Amino acid sequence: MRILAVAQNTFREAVRDKVLYVLLFFAASTILGSKALGWISIGQDVKIVKDISLAAVSIFGVLIAIFVGTSLVYKEIDKRTIYTIICRPMARWEFVIGKYLGMALLLAIVTVVMTLVTAAYVLSLGGSVDTTFFLAVLLIYWELLLITSLAVLMSSVTSPILGALIVFSAFVVGHATTILIDLPEHFHGTWTEFVLACVYYVIPNLSNFNIRSEAANGVEVAPAYVLWAMAYGSVYTIMLLVLASLAFEDKDV
Amino acid sequence: MDAIATQDLGKTYRSSLLRALPPSLDGLSLAVQENEVFGFLGRNGAGKTTTIKILSGLVRQTHGEAYIFGDSVRKRQARRHIGYLPENPYFYEYLTPRETLDFYGRLHGLGTRERTAEWDKLSDLLDLRDIASQRVREFSKGMRQRLGFAVALVGDPKVLILDEPMSGLDPLGRRSIRELILRMRDEKKTIFFSSHVLGDVEQICDRVGILVKGKLTSQGRIDELLGKQDSPVEVIVTGLAADVVAELESKALSTRVSEAGHHLTLQDVQTANEAVRVALAKGGSLVEFTQLKESLEDHFVKAQEVSP
Repeated sequence: MRILAVAQNTFREAVRDKVLYVLLFFAASTILGSKALGWISIGQDVKIVKDISLAAVSIFGVLIAIFVGTSLVYKEIDKRTIYTIICRPMARWEFVIGKYLGMALLLAIVTVVMTLVTAAYVLSLGGSVDTTFFLAVLLIYWELLLITSLAVLMSSVTSPILGALIVFSAFVVGHATTILIDLPEHFHGTWTEFVLACVYYVIPNLSNFNIRSEAANGVEVAPAYVLWAMAYGSVYTIMLLVLASLAFEDKDV
Repeated sequence: MDAIATQDLGKTYRSSLLRALPPSLDGLSLAVQENEVFGFLGRNGAGKTTTIKILSGLVRQTHGEAYIFGDSVRKRQARRHIGYLPENPYFYEYLTPRETLDFYGRLHGLGTRERTAEWDKLSDLLDLRDIASQRVREFSKGMRQRLGFAVALVGDPKVLILDEPMSGLDPLGRRSIRELILRMRDEKKTIFFSSHVLGDVEQICDRVGILVKGKLTSQGRIDELLGKQDSPVEVIVTGLAADVVAELESKALSTRVSEAGHHLTLQDVQTANEAVRVALAKGGSLVEFTQLKESLEDHFVKAQEVSP
């Protein structure tokens, strides 16, 4: 009940945020503009449109998660709206989880809207959308949930600017984790190799959520893989939310 | 049982480099009884807001303990008893008063029917009906304060913790908050509030505590703190023969003469009554009888000077 009240309010607040509409506008422009690249690749336009559109859903979703997510808790403290909230008979973790769920709802709606725009556009071009296309969107959303949990953790402990930088870096590194272990030979047995290996195991491998090229090429993906990727993401998300709740538990506001 | 009790309560904030700053609150021990209006006084930075934030669960104390009706403020249960009005309260700008109260009702765990009943009761009490459809962003300071008071009352708490509730209000706004506090006292609530407006404190508080640099330097009933019972009395009498005046002047602490008559400052009420009885018996007239009590402001200023 209390978590839902916070979630609903977070959603309502985010919907009134202008940044959201600016990002949605650019996302729609990218999806509709992807046809331009389709012309270059003769006969491949639907495939290119799908590929670029799914990338747009992912990137603009991540930008929304970062811009809105990293200020979620911070803004409440900065604007002092939190004073009259956590003095209520509610646990602090309920507040953190409520903020997270509000953001998850917003991202779900944003993702659905962008997906519908993409699907309608692909169909209008004479293409088709299959199960893999929707599974790709599902995994993009699951990745957004993970990114948002990191953003919420950051918003509980640091400023939005620093938080956004850290989350964005984690996003970039998370999509290229293999470079952390595929080191040149002269690094073998060094501390650098050890530290980078630690980072490799700590940072989630976000490539696990990327089945966009399979979706664009109409290649089937095993449901078991999708379920495994979702479980993988859920473990990280839950851990990050526990950390966010612990960080906020004794924070003076 | 005390409504609010603190034992050796202290708070030391840390700087961004984790260096300990001087304590904001140091060894605060006080008890506020049920159905009492307690005024918490101190200069800016004395530790009033820190105390209030600890009581409201916003800040964790570094040492000591605080209880609301016997429940430690570290526990969620303690917050069931309190309604908190921060200084310059902030609410979600895009909500209306009704949506705001509904939101806080849900946070308090109230059901739909209870929340509707809360709106009916509080919108009448705080005059919110006329502004029910306006967004909070359009509110004046006084309107925000009224809404803040309503939010504090959601869930019918037994203790109201108000941080500078009259700050920045015009005289009418201050008066309406003063009346609300008294009304809440009549409804058997306990009110703990900080204020800089000493005149208001003097008018409505049963007891006060004065905080200087994080330490409680005095607490008690206002008349006790100001020594009202033992304070001197100035009597102005007229129409007396010189020998009677001389007799009365011999008993006075100080004397002077003005157009109004002979001013005699006497030790206490009893001595003053005796002097008046003598003056009237000798054919004189009483013009004025004034107890020279120290004002709360004088006491407050003195408390700052005494503290190291």
